[in-house]
Amino acid sequence: MSLFLLTLGFGIVTSAVLALAAVGLSLQFGVTNYVNFAYGAFLAFGMFFTYTAQSALHMPIVLAGVFGTLATGVVALVVDTLILEPFVRRGTSGFFLLIVTFGLSLILLNLVQAIWGVGFDQYNVAAGSPITLGPFSFTAAQIGVVAVAVLTMVAVHLLLTRTTLGRAMRAMSDNAPLARATGIDTRSVTRWTWFISGCLAGLGGITLALNTVEFQAFTGNTFLFVIFAAVILGGIGQIYGAMIGAVIIGLVVNFAGMVISSAYDLDAAFAVLVLVLLLRPQGIIPTLGKA
Amino acid sequence: MGVILGYVATLGVYFFIYNIFAFGLNIQFGYTGILDFTVITFMAIGGYMAGVASLGPEQPGSDIYYVLGLSLPWPVALVIGAAAAGAAGYVLGLIALRRLRSDYLAIVTLAAGSIVYGVIGNANGLFDGFEGLVGVPQPLNGVLKLSPNSYTLFFLGLAGVIMAICWFVAERIYRSPLGRAMRAIREDLDVAEAYGKRTFRVRMTAMVIGCVFVGIGGVLTIWFVTALAPAGWGTSETFVVWAALIVGGRGNNLGAVVGSFLVAVLFNEATRFLPAIPGHPSLISEIRNMCIGGLVILTLWFRPQGAVAERKARFFEIPLRPGALDEAAKSVPAMATSGS
Amino acid sequence: MAADDEILSVHDLRRSFGGVRALTGATFGVGRGTVTALIGPNGAGKTTLVNVVAGAMKPQAGSVVFDGRDITGRPSHDVALNGLIRTFQISREYPAMTVLENLMVSPQGQTGEHLWTVLFRPSRYRAEERAHLERALEVLADFGLYEKRNDYARSLSGGQKRLLELARAVMARPKLLVLDEPMAGINPALITRLAEHILALREREGTTFLMVEHNLDVVEDMCDNVIVMAVGRTLATGTMAELRENPEVVSAYLTGGLVDVRAQG
Ligand SMILES: Nc1ncnc2c1ncn2[C@@H]1O[C@H](COP(=O)(O)OP(=O)(O)OP(=O)(O)O)[C@@H](O)[C@H]1O
Ligand SMILES: [Mg+2]
Repeated sequence: MSLFLLTLGFGIVTSAVLALAAVGLSLQFGVTNYVNFAYGAFLAFGMFFTYTAQSALHMPIVLAGVFGTLATGVVALVVDTLILEPFVRRGTSGFFLLIVTFGLSLILLNLVQAIWGVGFDQYNVAAGSPITLGPFSFTAAQIGVVAVAVLTMVAVHLLLTRTTLGRAMRAMSDNAPLARATGIDTRSVTRWTWFISGCLAGLGGITLALNTVEFQAFTGNTFLFVIFAAVILGGIGQIYGAMIGAVIIGLVVNFAGMVISSAYDLDAAFAVLVLVLLLRPQGIIPTLGKA
Repeated sequence: MGVILGYVATLGVYFFIYNIFAFGLNIQFGYTGILDFTVITFMAIGGYMAGVASLGPEQPGSDIYYVLGLSLPWPVALVIGAAAAGAAGYVLGLIALRRLRSDYLAIVTLAAGSIVYGVIGNANGLFDGFEGLVGVPQPLNGVLKLSPNSYTLFFLGLAGVIMAICWFVAERIYRSPLGRAMRAIREDLDVAEAYGKRTFRVRMTAMVIGCVFVGIGGVLTIWFVTALAPAGWGTSETFVVWAALIVGGRGNNLGAVVGSFLVAVLFNEATRFLPAIPGHPSLISEIRNMCIGGLVILTLWFRPQGAVAERKARFFEIPLRPGALDEAAKSVPAMATSGS
Repeated sequence: MAADDEILSVHDLRRSFGGVRALTGATFGVGRGTVTALIGPNGAGKTTLVNVVAGAMKPQAGSVVFDGRDITGRPSHDVALNGLIRTFQISREYPAMTVLENLMVSPQGQTGEHLWTVLFRPSRYRAEERAHLERALEVLADFGLYEKRNDYARSLSGGQKRLLELARAVMARPKLLVLDEPMAGINPALITRLAEHILALREREGTTFLMVEHNLDVVEDMCDNVIVMAVGRTLATGTMAELRENPEVVSAYLTGGLVDVRAQG
């Protein structure tokens, strides 16, 4: 198997992880209209809840993953309800909300590290023999990651197009005051958004942990700006844009790692981020009046 | 006695250094509203560049690799460090200060910080990677031949003088029409632009000056510690500077000083000397970081303006031309002083 | 009106936002020294026009010539430095600065805005600063805001903010002042007062005014010339009396319930 195909395979897996995380971030960004810098900590919660569920509660990995996903959603919901929502209701400007989430990221990451320690952990997943799919060969975990991502994207699509909640979320993302004026219960939609965003962050964290094998509290956070790059590339609040952005960034990161050096693969994501901001700050799918 | 003196002097040095960091961030955020989420990167750039400017050439056979190694005298190293940080700020400004949403600016600064961190850590030949620079010569240490404690006192004086100069400069900018334009941009960039302010240039000026300040703080840091490695300048260090400014009072240099004392000295540095908790060596630092994050959030909730709020601008009072008020009253008789 | 008497000539400006075509061809001129009104129903594209003319947005087609210079697509600070100042439909004072400071920001090309001067030659801007200060205090006295000079701008009432907006613009000594609904949401007494200020400024300083206004009585009283816009286009230009005779204008704007309700209230 050529290096090209190998890299392409890795690129697809990275894209899958990124898509999960980017969609969650973009959803919340679009609905609330401010960035959550604590998102990297949510990834860490997903990783470690799942780790504890598997290693201490002896759940099978899939069940542990479901537990980790939902538990992270609850963390996000609590953080929003207790801390961010009061600031928003008081009319705190976007500037200070960003600083609040920046502070939250410091608190939550250190909380994770205080609970689970500084060392590296890993899930207990049987390595198994590689599975060949066409020209690619993947581990079972990698196939799981891609499958989870694809299923989740379909679920998000159905959520946004077929449910009242999803339509309300899109309405808020387009124009929050108008959405409120048309009788949407923006507070409960916001809370649901945080819960779903947290779940997606949790899933992103778990799949990232499966992909990197070893992880610790800050693993997700170093990935944060790569997620941002995918979100901005897609256009803020553009869910499908975030998916496309994730695929592009995932491939770019892996091919840059192949061509240059894996120590600098994330720099490629930064380069894409800079190019997007310089050339097309509204993203590939612009939102009216948002960029 | 000597131990306590040395301890207090050390905290004093850190206090002065954090003051300089906080002044720098204040010019960026407090005056101009630039969300620089990677303040500490410029400290590192300033420190490293001053380090390799004053260190001698790399020794073959030693395990330490770095660029330059110019053996320059310390004042020149200070200028190089400050200029390098300013230049780095300029480059970042070219990307981040275009007319983007303020959250994009924050993301770009954060991302650039991660990148610089990764590059400096991974490129061993630059500043010796994750090991970092060691053995950086201290200003005049060879000449003065002081005991360690006396040298710390001397350094305290040096840092104090540099801090005072920075404070003076920061105040002079604040009170000038330039500082006023910066604050107008902070309040409403579009309006300032509509009134003929070259907002990109003014914001770039604030960005670069702020980075120069932080770089100067970095030079002082590497001199004082004689070493600098990536572990010493993570994102949480950036947050300490932010916390100092928010808690102390953004837009007010006295607030920056108060905040540096409360957050950086009392919280951040003093707790470094607490004994580690057995079985959990990093717990103290984790609790400290959580407290600092919490302190910022509580401040923004209970006292958003910080301990020392920004002062109202006061102009030298000049008397109104005699009769000006009467004329105004005459020209619009019915409602000369009513609002609406 | 001959073109060389025009301080502002706008030709066929177009601008759309995604599918919304806000400007579909605006063409008009503003005579030097006049007070010209820009009227049109809500959503006609008046604010968009102000934004494009003042450089806050780029047009997709068309040209703007101001005082003999082509300023099409120039950034707003450039337009402002050429002498065209605009105000905003919703008052946008600098909230956490004092009223006096709000005015002190406005003078253009201040010597004290150069870093080098600030750091090494601060004495070079003192005299200039004092002159600006004297003028700012006079303008404040003129606008009845003198007593409020050391209050934060955010603490002013809505009407006072309107006055501040105009006072701040006056401080910039514009050749052309473009006002986006300066009278919206203020009481009739204050409307009279703002109108007097505007006419006095034209008298004293020779400033030209282009003002977006919904209140047709005000327009009739104070404006020399009126430009009518509807659905992104300029329909007609003339005096109020002429426009009342123009059937196209009457059907698009003056009757048919399209007149903004705010104008009545
Ligand atoms: N930034 C924008 N993004 C999308 N659509 C916009 C934007 N600005 C204006 N529009 C649309 O362009 C059209 C013209 O708006 P504009 O604000 O110029 O009208 P106006 O004449 O000033 O109205 P009003 O009397 O209400 O102030 C409207 O349909 C508006 O919704
Ligand atoms: Mg309008």
